[in-house]
Amino acid sequence: MKILLVILAFILAPLTVVSQEVTVDVNAPQSAVAGQQFRIVYTVNSTDGRFQPPAFDPSFSVSGPQTSSSRNVQWINGEVTSVATTTLVYYVIASMPGSYIIPPARYESKKATVSSAPVEIEITDAGTAPSGNDTQAGQPPENGSEVSMRLTLSTREVYIGQPVTATLKLFTRINLSGINDLKYPDFKGFLREDIETPPLRNLEAEVIDGVQYGTGVLQRFVLYPQIAGELRIDPVGITALVQQRTTGGDPFFNDPFFDNFFSNVTTVPRSVSTQPAVIRVKPLPMPQPSDFHGAVGAFEIVSDLSKTDITVNDALTYSVTLKGKGNLNLAGAPVINFPQGIEKYDPKVTVKSSGTTTGSKVFEYLLIPRNTGTFDLPPVSYTVFDPELEKYITLRTPGYSIEVTGNEGVTEEAAQPAYIPGEEVKYLGQDIRFIRTGDSRLRVMPETLVEKSYYWLLFAMALLLAASLMLLRREQIRRNADITGIRNRRAARNAKKRLAKAYDLLKSSRPELVMAELSAALWGYLGDKLSIPRADLTREKCYAALRARNTGEDLITELDLILSASEYSRYSPTSQGDSPAELHRRTADLIEKLDALLN
Amino acid sequence: MKRSIAIHLLLIIIALQVSSQTSEESYRHAAELYESSDFSGAAAIYKRLYDEGYRSEELLYNAGNAFFKAGDNASAILFYERARLISPADEDINYNLQVARSRVTDKFETLPELFFVRWFDFFSLLASTNTWALVSLVLFIISLLFILIFLTRSASRGRLIPFWMTLVTIILSLVTLSLAIRNNSLVNHNRKAVVTCSIVTGRSAPGDSGNELFVIHSGTTVTVEEKLGAYSEVRLPDGNKGWVKEECIEKI
Repeated sequence: MKILLVILAFILAPLTVVSQEVTVDVNAPQSAVAGQQFRIVYTVNSTDGRFQPPAFDPSFSVSGPQTSSSRNVQWINGEVTSVATTTLVYYVIASMPGSYIIPPARYESKKATVSSAPVEIEITDAGTAPSGNDTQAGQPPENGSEVSMRLTLSTREVYIGQPVTATLKLFTRINLSGINDLKYPDFKGFLREDIETPPLRNLEAEVIDGVQYGTGVLQRFVLYPQIAGELRIDPVGITALVQQRTTGGDPFFNDPFFDNFFSNVTTVPRSVSTQPAVIRVKPLPMPQPSDFHGAVGAFEIVSDLSKTDITVNDALTYSVTLKGKGNLNLAGAPVINFPQGIEKYDPKVTVKSSGTTTGSKVFEYLLIPRNTGTFDLPPVSYTVFDPELEKYITLRTPGYSIEVTGNEGVTEEAAQPAYIPGEEVKYLGQDIRFIRTGDSRLRVMPETLVEKSYYWLLFAMALLLAASLMLLRREQIRRNADITGIRNRRAARNAKKRLAKAYDLLKSSRPELVMAELSAALWGYLGDKLSIPRADLTREKCYAALRARNTGEDLITELDLILSASEYSRYSPTSQGDSPAELHRRTADLIEKLDALLN
Repeated sequence: MKRSIAIHLLLIIIALQVSSQTSEESYRHAAELYESSDFSGAAAIYKRLYDEGYRSEELLYNAGNAFFKAGDNASAILFYERARLISPADEDINYNLQVARSRVTDKFETLPELFFVRWFDFFSLLASTNTWALVSLVLFIISLLFILIFLTRSASRGRLIPFWMTLVTIILSLVTLSLAIRNNSLVNHNRKAVVTCSIVTGRSAPGDSGNELFVIHSGTTVTVEEKLGAYSEVRLPDGNKGWVKEECIEKI
C-alpha cells in the first residue's frame, strides 16, 4: 500500500510542477461594419477558473458567450503534459460607427487572476468602403458586389520570358451553388501555362475590413511574356451560380423561423469578371550572346555522363540539367558540338517543375561511339538572362573525355556497324570562302593587241608575203612548164631532122656518122619527151621513165637493141649486124611508135 | 650626255623595282589586315592597287572578299565579277559571288542567255585577249603556209591534205580571232555594271523629269545600253530598261 502511494505521488508530482501559467488570449477583428455581426473570441488555457467578461460598450449588443472547453493530456517519455482550453465566443453587433476599446477580460483561477489585453475596434459606417490599398493581394473587391473576382499578378514589370505568376481568386458574400464557364482572354503577347490547382470545393472564410467573405483560389497560372511593351491583360470572366432565396407568399410562414424550411432556393447565373491589368514587359538587352537560347531566370547547370569507358557501339547518356527558377519550358537546348565518330541523337527533354516556375529541365543525349579512341566532349556553355541582376550570365559545365575501346574477339569488319545511317551534312551558315594567301601574281594589264593597228598589219603583211611567194613560185613553175613543154612538143620534130640528116649521110658511105646521128636523134627524143635533163640521161633512167608510162616491154627491148647497135657500130666500124639503112628504118619506126604512145 | 641618260635609265629601273616591291608589300599587308579582321583596311589597299592598274585573279578575289566582310556587298559583287573575267571557271570566285548575290535585295527572274553565247563567252575568257590574238596570228600564218603548199603541189603528189589543213587552220584562226575580240569586249569594254547606291530610281527618260519606272538596290547587276550626260540607260536582268544616274552604277 505504501509503495502504491509512493508511485502515485511520483506520477502526480510532474503534473503539479508542469501546470503552466494561465493566459487569456483575445481575438477580435480590427474593424467591423456597423450593424453587422462580428465575433470576439477569448481563449483561456485553463478550465478550472472563472471568466469575467469585459465591460462591453453599452451601444454594443452582445450575445453569448458560447463556451467550450477541452482538455488534452499527453505522456511523452514519462512526462505528462496537460493542456486545458476554454474558448468563449461573443457575437457582437455595433450599432454606431466609431472607435471603441473593449476593456480586458479577467480570469480568476485558484492561483492567480489574469486579464486579457484591451482590444481596439474600428466600427465603420455601412456605406463607406474601407479606403486604401486595393491593389494588394487578398484585399476586398469592389465594394457593394456580392460576388467578385480578382486576378493577382506576382509582378507588373518583367523582362521578356520572365514568368509572371497569376492567381485568380473568388470573393463572395453570398451562397454560390457553383461556378462554370471560366473564360480566359487570349492573353495577347503571353504564353499561358496553367498550374495545377485543386478544384474549388470549400470557400474559406476571410474577413476583410469587417466584411466576411468566402474566398477561394479558382486557378493559378504562369504567363510568359513574348514581346516587349505595355501588355494589357483583358478581364477574365466566369459565371457564378448564385443561390437566391425566394420566400413563398403565404403570410403564415412569413417568418424567419420558417424561412429555412419553406423558402424556395433558385440558382441565378451571374457573370463576374476581373479588372484589366497592364504588365510592362522590358526587352532583353542587346546584343544577345550566341549561346543564349531564351532561358530567363536564375539557373544553374549541371552535366553528367553515364560512363567514360565504353566499348564501341555501346550507348551512353550525356545529360545536361538546367535547374532554377524561370521560364524552364521555354529554355532551348544547349548547342553541343559532339566530336566526329560519335553518333548523336536528338535530346530527350524532361521538365520537372515543383510548384510554379521552379524546377529542372534535363536534356538527355544518347550517344553511340562508332569508332575507337579517345573522344573529348567539349564543355557546354549556356547563357541565361537573370532578370534580378539584369544581365546575361554564362553557365559552364566541364568537358569530358571518353575512352572507347574495341570489342575483343570481334574482327575489325564485324566491329563496324552493319549499317551506318547516312546523315546529311548540316550546314550551319553560309559565308564566303577565305582569301587567297599565295602569290599575288600582280601585273599591270598589257595593251590589248586587237586594238592596235600593227596587229592587223601583221595579218596583212603575212598575207602579202604569202601572195608574193605564191606569185614567184607560179612564175617559176610557168617558166619550167614552158621549157619542158617546148622540148616535148619539139621532140618528134628534132628527131625527124636528125633522121633526115642521117638519111643524107647514108649515101656518103660513112656509117659511123649515120650511127652517131641516129643515136643523137634517139637520146634527144627521149630527153625531151621524158623531161630528163641531158646530164642525167642514162639508159636505166629512160627505161624506168618509159615503164612508168606503160610503154610496154617490147618497145623498151627494141630501144635497147638500137642503142646498143648504134654504140657498137660507132666504135667498131666493120659492121656485122644490121645495115645502117635498116637501123635507120627501125629507129624511125621506134620514134614513131613512142611518139604515138607518149603523146 | 650619255652619262646622264644612263643615270636616268638607272633611276627609272630603280623606281620600277621600288614600285613593284611596294605593291607586293601592300598586297601582303592587306592579306594580314584581312586575317586580323580589319576588312575595311584590307579593302582600301586592294582598291588602291586596282586603281593603280594592277590586275590578278588573286587581287580581285581578295578585294571582293574584303569588301564583303566589310559590309560593302555591292563592291564585293563588282570585284567578284571582275575576277570572274580573268578566271571564269574558278570555283571559289563563283561560290563567293553567289553568296554575295544572295544578299542582294533585288531578286530577278533572269532572262536566260542563249547557251552558245554563254559557252562562247566562257570559252573566250579562258585565255587572255592577247593570248587569243597571238594564237590567231600564228594559225593564220600556218594556214598561209598550207595554202602555198596546196597551190604549188602537182596533183600527182596529193593535194588533199594541204587543202584540208588550210581549211582547218584558217577556221581556227578566225575562231581564235573572234574569241580575242570577244574577250577584249568583255574584259575591257564590258557593258555590265553594278549598282553601288543603296537605292536608285529608274526613270523613263534621262533627268529628273521622266516617269519613275522601277527602284533597284545596291548589288544588282545591270547592263549599260546608252549614256547621256550624267545618266545611263540600263537594262535590268529581267529585260526592263530605264535611265539611272551614272554615279550610282560602276562598270565591271
